Amino acid sequence: MEQSQTANDGLRVVIGLGSCGIAAGAQDVKDAFVNALAAHKVEASLEDTGCNGACHREPIVEVYQGSDHWTYGGVTVKQVDEIVEKHLKGGAPIEEWTLQKGPLAPEVEAFFSKQKRIALANCGVIDPEKIEDYLAQDGYVALKTALADNDRDKVIAEMLDSGLRGRGGGGFPTGLKWKFTKGATGDQKYIICNADEGDPGAFMDRSILEGDPHAVLEGMAIAGFATGATAAYIYCRAEYPLAIARLRIAIVQAEERNLLGEKINGSEFTFKIKIKEGAGAFVCGEETALIFSIEGHRGMPRKRPPFPANSGLFGKPTNINNVETLANVPWILRNGGAAFAAMGTEKSKGSKVFALAGKIKRGGLVEVPMGITIREILEEIGGGSDTGAPLKAVQMGGPSGGCIPAKLFDTRVDYDEVTRTGAIMGSGGMVVMDETSCMVDIAKFFLDFTQKESCGKCTFCRVGTLRMLEILERISEGKGKMSDLDLLEELAHKIKETSLCGLGQTAPNPVLTTLKYFRHEYEAHVESQRCPAKVCKPLLTYSIDADKCTGCTLCSRVCPVHCITGTKKEVHVLDQAACTKCGSCSEVCKDDAIHIE
Amino acid sequence: MADIKLTIDDQAVTVAEGATILDAAKDLGIEIPTLCHLPDHPPYTSCFLCVVEVEGQNNPVPSCSTAAADGMVISTQSERIRSTRKMCLELLASEHTGDCYGHCHITCPAGIEIPQFIDELAHGKPGEALKIIKRAMPLPSALGRVCTRPCESVCRRGQVDEPVAICNLKSVAGDPDLKAGERWVPEVGADTGKKVAVVGAGPAGVSAAYYLRQMGHAVKIFEGQEKAGGMLRYGIPAFRMPRDVLDTEIHQLDQMGVQWQFNTWLGKDYTIESLQKQGFDAVFLGLGAQAASPARIPGEDTPGVVPGIELLAKASRGEDVDLGDLVMVVGGGNTAMDACRTAIRKGAGKVVLLYRRTRAEMPALDIEIEEALHEGVEMRFLAAPVQIEMGDGDKLNVKCIKMELGAPDASGRRRPVPQEGSEYVEQVSTLINAIGQKFDTASVDGQGVELNRWSFVDSNPKTGQTNLDGVFTGGDCSPGDGEMIAVWAVQAGHKCAASIDQFLTGRPIVGLEYEWYSTIGTPGGPAPKQILERFTPAERQTMDMISDDQRLGGFAEIELGFGPDKGKEEASRCMLCGCDATEDCKLKIYGTEYHIEPDRLAGAIRDFHYDDSHEKLVMESGKCILCGSCVRTCHDHGLDVLGFVNRGISARVSPTLGLPLAETDCDGCLKCVEVCPTGALMAKPGATAD
Repeated sequence: MEQSQTANDGLRVVIGLGSCGIAAGAQDVKDAFVNALAAHKVEASLEDTGCNGACHREPIVEVYQGSDHWTYGGVTVKQVDEIVEKHLKGGAPIEEWTLQKGPLAPEVEAFFSKQKRIALANCGVIDPEKIEDYLAQDGYVALKTALADNDRDKVIAEMLDSGLRGRGGGGFPTGLKWKFTKGATGDQKYIICNADEGDPGAFMDRSILEGDPHAVLEGMAIAGFATGATAAYIYCRAEYPLAIARLRIAIVQAEERNLLGEKINGSEFTFKIKIKEGAGAFVCGEETALIFSIEGHRGMPRKRPPFPANSGLFGKPTNINNVETLANVPWILRNGGAAFAAMGTEKSKGSKVFALAGKIKRGGLVEVPMGITIREILEEIGGGSDTGAPLKAVQMGGPSGGCIPAKLFDTRVDYDEVTRTGAIMGSGGMVVMDETSCMVDIAKFFLDFTQKESCGKCTFCRVGTLRMLEILERISEGKGKMSDLDLLEELAHKIKETSLCGLGQTAPNPVLTTLKYFRHEYEAHVESQRCPAKVCKPLLTYSIDADKCTGCTLCSRVCPVHCITGTKKEVHVLDQAACTKCGSCSEVCKDDAIHIE
Repeated sequence: MADIKLTIDDQAVTVAEGATILDAAKDLGIEIPTLCHLPDHPPYTSCFLCVVEVEGQNNPVPSCSTAAADGMVISTQSERIRSTRKMCLELLASEHTGDCYGHCHITCPAGIEIPQFIDELAHGKPGEALKIIKRAMPLPSALGRVCTRPCESVCRRGQVDEPVAICNLKSVAGDPDLKAGERWVPEVGADTGKKVAVVGAGPAGVSAAYYLRQMGHAVKIFEGQEKAGGMLRYGIPAFRMPRDVLDTEIHQLDQMGVQWQFNTWLGKDYTIESLQKQGFDAVFLGLGAQAASPARIPGEDTPGVVPGIELLAKASRGEDVDLGDLVMVVGGGNTAMDACRTAIRKGAGKVVLLYRRTRAEMPALDIEIEEALHEGVEMRFLAAPVQIEMGDGDKLNVKCIKMELGAPDASGRRRPVPQEGSEYVEQVSTLINAIGQKFDTASVDGQGVELNRWSFVDSNPKTGQTNLDGVFTGGDCSPGDGEMIAVWAVQAGHKCAASIDQFLTGRPIVGLEYEWYSTIGTPGGPAPKQILERFTPAERQTMDMISDDQRLGGFAEIELGFGPDKGKEEASRCMLCGCDATEDCKLKIYGTEYHIEPDRLAGAIRDFHYDDSHEKLVMESGKCILCGSCVRTCHDHGLDVLGFVNRGISARVSPTLGLPLAETDCDGCLKCVEVCPTGALMAKPGATAD
């Protein structure tokens, strides 16, 4: 852990060290700061924090001094020495590098101004490895108050009032879930935090665990108190090592302060949390499969009822909530359920975290009030497409969700409104597509994911999704038939009707929604062997534009089948009969001379 | 506990709390199909075959794990449920890698259970073998000599060394019975009081009569010729189809109570209507194809031009024919070969065969071509007659044209293309035209029977129904989906007997019972390596033959048969393809019941994998449907030898750590074999749990 230095007039340098920051080079930036501070003999406190959501601007370095606060975005190691010398030592911020005054300031403003941060409130603000930071933000106040009041019904009533619904995708009212578990009889009850985040393009839970682990622990302890559970598991995928490391640190710190463990904070309530690392099977995010996995069995779902609230882990009453759901709990208890319910729509209260990915200018994590439109999220917060092409659709809810076309972007973020489009709210993944995205290809991508992640138990899910995938593959190769579209729909509906768990019940959604909104793209592939977005390679023809080719020879050198010939500095020729349509030439061409039709 | 009242398929039932819908249905005697449910075990719910519809619920629910609730209204057989179950079975079948039957069996038009009868021969039991063959057709010894043996062309043994001599093994099973004092015939059914007229005593008619008698219907066969057998007698020479064998084998119909009337021709001596007036409740037309196809060349009616089929019929009756010193036979099929060889025996000085393609395209069996060459037939290829004229003396001047092979035609053979200006003239004493036969429509003229555009009797290929109520047909006069060969004719007789029985008993007419079965690849396609590797090459047995002097001196049978010893040796070459679980395989039973069409969902299939390392059981994971019954049973047995591995379509049941079963803790209790719904786990022959 970072040792605190004596602050010079409270000078603090805070570096975003979430997985996204580290991936962008934040650790190297931090090392450079250590060296530069020493070289320039500057005394400053060098601190870590999680992700503030603006993943597209990482590494992010924030400098605090008194009331002065500057944020540097996209910091490179080369810039560090200058920042230390001019700003930290000289007192003159390098404004053009900052997100407040630099050229990107309006974009940063747009990214944050419409957000409402509750679950993410502390992310990118506090040092997740310091319980003091969390305590300074009223951390554990909610738990302490609840224990002091010692009124479990009041806690549940508050949760019911808040209208909070499961943020993992199910959308089931959290208060009701707690109430069922409280009402269930059993000598032992369990709380499980479902941190098996697995949707491609979704990283809400990871960011919360990395940026604010104590909020989740506090939420779990409150749930334990309310339901009568004394033991808990966090089921977190092993691919999240940083989250797991920070959770371990947080648990030790909380236990040291008697905020977890035996007789918490002097009360009679005992609550112990263990971490169970999952092997990364997507289906283990389904609660019955998750429970089997913790028990040491293969993660395969079973039929509900019985629900875990009555018969869960080791056959005992078990309450399972997702990370984001639990992170909302301390805020709700501190501010009251009514304050949470004041935000959002009639049936969807509070805020929701979304992970923006795909063809989007400002990708990252955003938390928005329920009721905001998809258009506001994608265009105002996300800044539209990163390629400049018009937005075409957004996949909401990961592979279980569906594609919402641009014409429906005025749909509000609301469980029921989103469901009406054929997509689902899901856990918060938003994969954005623009006119350069092929919808058949997108459907294939998500179905390929669910097929590989199916546990293989239910016939329709195991074999049916493969047959659908094979049909999509045929279509994207120009070998589809129009009757394949009907067969796709028939399979899709049958799979949805006859699968035990959410994976199978929702796996066909990406196909069904793209078929519903983009049938013409499917038909173009089938009837005229054409991919309108120019994505499906077997349907493309490559040629070299003689006006643009400079004869640099790059393409001919990279072509794996040597179908491009030409001498240096002369126009090259591509032999279409031999071309395997791998696309390598267009990837390397610097002159935009590879023509794709 | 409170009683729960619910309704299933309009029947009320009361069950105790905790009972599932499946339990409740069982109480009512309603069978809901399931592949993964184990009685006395907690529900598992993986196959989703047991779905039912519950009124008020959007989606079908699995009955094995849905608790019966008060007031539930359940439908187990709705259209929606049946289509869901059908698709469920189609999905499972579409990835199933297993052969229910040997490819020989499924290729045999008659559907003879070939590996089964051969296995009996290998164990020295020709009588048992005969009974198996006679389930599928009545003439083992006759077809055991002259069948064109489509089975052998797909025999897997051919991928190890040479195909098993399946065809002749039939006569190994049949011949001892011909010599026995008491011949084995199937049991005749209890008299139904119905009468059926069978017109034509060829293989189709004989077969129809044979099955109709087993069903208890009275049968009278009407035959125009003086003897029974049809083309087997009048179209195949005795040196290939000995008459005593044919007579004895057909004679079994007498034993079964069939009545005969010979020398009576349909259309001349009686009509279909007159049969009906005589009180026949149904009519089977097995009229054959006795007319020679015309060559459509000038001069083909010149004296000295003889249809091959006429030569064979005359020879069969022992009539004399004067062929002269040089005979030219035109054609490339088995009839052409038979005509050549008959001509030699009938005193032709020299026999020349003229065929418009090359030897490779000849439709005749290779062995027949070899025999013809051996007997001195000269073969000339890539030429065809275009005109026949009377020449000097008794000679015919046959103008021929040379051919070249062009693009393949509909049959897949390369089409012969005449070469302009290549004409030449041959002088022959007799020209025998053996280019094919057709149905002689005169027999049904004016009787209301519809013909198809090829002038065969029009019929439903599945049922043999003609346009006339109660009149069925099959064989060469109405080949339908089949070919004009004897084994198709016996199948047609069988099929029509089934249809006639359905007609006479007022059931829907569907022909032979539908059966779904699984096949690895296409018949004759490459077999999984692991199958072939289990066999070491062993040469196909050859038959002894009579001497050349003996053969050309008359019409004695040339092949002397395998006899019991060689027969047993040859039978032991059979790889016994097919699955031992076929009879009680639930996938097959339900697949048949739901008339599944897995081809519409064709895609990737499971790999073939065969683990026979264990002394008691065999695991063939290609046949696994992942019901998990074995995994649960093994767990209950306290061993956990079997478990699940992988995800998605790659999910498998696998022995511990993927080891061969013999290297696991498996104690051979065989409980997994008992619960396996397919043939993925099978006990080795003779293996018991103890």
